Amino acid sequence: MNLTACGKTDQGLVRANNEDNFYLDEKMGLLVVADGMGGHASGEKASGLAVSLIRDYFQGPQKIIGSPDPSFSEATNRLGCAIRLANQAVYEVAQSSPQFKGMGTTIVAVLLTGRKLSIAHIGDSRAYLIRAGSIDQLTDDHSMVQEQVKRNLITQEEADRSEMKNILTKALGIQPEIEADLDELTVMDGDILLLCTDGFSNMVTDDDALDMISSAQNGSAACESMIDAANRNGGKDNITVVIGYVWKEKWYSALMKFMEFFRR
Amino acid sequence: MAKVLLKYKEAAVKEIALDKESTTIGRKPDNDIVIDNQAVSGHHASITMEGDRLVLEDLGSLNGTFVNGQKISKTELFNGDVILIGVHTLNVTSEKNRSQETKGFAVRGRSMDETMVIAPDDQKKIIAAADKNLPEPLGGFVVLEGSTQQKEYELKERVSAIGKEDGSAIKLKGLFAPKLAAMVNRRKEGYFITPAGGKELKVNGKIIDRRCDLKDGDLVEVAGLKLQFYLKE
Repeated sequence: MNLTACGKTDQGLVRANNEDNFYLDEKMGLLVVADGMGGHASGEKASGLAVSLIRDYFQGPQKIIGSPDPSFSEATNRLGCAIRLANQAVYEVAQSSPQFKGMGTTIVAVLLTGRKLSIAHIGDSRAYLIRAGSIDQLTDDHSMVQEQVKRNLITQEEADRSEMKNILTKALGIQPEIEADLDELTVMDGDILLLCTDGFSNMVTDDDALDMISSAQNGSAACESMIDAANRNGGKDNITVVIGYVWKEKWYSALMKFMEFFRR
Repeated sequence: MAKVLLKYKEAAVKEIALDKESTTIGRKPDNDIVIDNQAVSGHHASITMEGDRLVLEDLGSLNGTFVNGQKISKTELFNGDVILIGVHTLNVTSEKNRSQETKGFAVRGRSMDETMVIAPDDQKKIIAAADKNLPEPLGGFVVLEGSTQQKEYELKERVSAIGKEDGSAIKLKGLFAPKLAAMVNRRKEGYFITPAGGKELKVNGKIIDRRCDLKDGDLVEVAGLKLQFYLKE
């Protein structure tokens, strides 16, 4: 399976700086989105650091450090390991200077290997799957309200309206060791993946996101209209969206390219 | 005498006179001002009198202490200053006004909805406190009628497809089989099924056109298949 991806980040209308970061590698099949937090510029630093460490991990020998989880594939374990290492490094930087103390970041990353999609996340940045005209969230937020929903203390509707949505139960870089939530999915030709930060998911409903993605001409137009929509609805936080299109090389695609060549 | 007004989301919670040499603020009950919120550290900050000066100091809190929107570690407080701790604010009333030059700094935006994280040890406590951690449901289908590769399918993934398309969990065979007939989602609350590709989907004999929650023993008919849903304990 192949992946074509496109991403965009925007400061939003309220924040003085952009603490979101993202990274795309179509060849590797890797998409990463991070939403930093912390005073001054440290949020930016945390998310930027985490994203570049994950990128570097996949550009290196991708050694799995620590004991792999046998219930997941090797690729998924690699993704989990990349996040574990990124956490250590961000935590160390945070401890090294009072200026960076308390900084952290959310992370959501997907890795496509053949037909298998590995999904990993910490915090409230999300991954969605769009298939056959419906949109499904693939990650469960690590937020206080979501923990309450899980324990049936409040309903999903109450959670969506809650003022406490911004309080996370897990973040990358604030403790020496952390494990990301891992998951796997079999992808199909035509699947679309959406990764976003809470600056998007809090401003735009899932169904509106689905409409925008399915009606857009291409990835960059979809990203553009999604960011505009989040800003129209308030733009209260930094907004980042990454869209990945999963597609299969058709047996006649070489022929098409050949014809295309002569048509020019 | 100087005092602070503790507010939560614009609503005043209580007024506290700063009559002691040192007033501590934090989540633990041994503080002078207790703010019971997970975004507040156990011993978060303190306000001390140094002569005629009122000094606010952050005691190494996780989410920080802010005065008029700026993160501080130690600073003098003046009349009208607003302290932000977690999601609570403390409005300062004192005799001393901020001199003109320094007034009006920092409107730069630390707002109430900025992302924060709970300290890891607190988090363990919260989870332990309310721990009726639900095991994730695990279920699948037994094939009653129709030709499929297996007799039984356990659906572990969050989204599984039924269809001829490669990557389907329940793969249909035959020339006229639809590429995609239905999708099954697995959630903490349970499983549900959604029709796809305009194919007719029946659950317990009834045609459904939107998502439908699956219960143990439900009969699903789609694309010439008859399946029975099961849930494991």
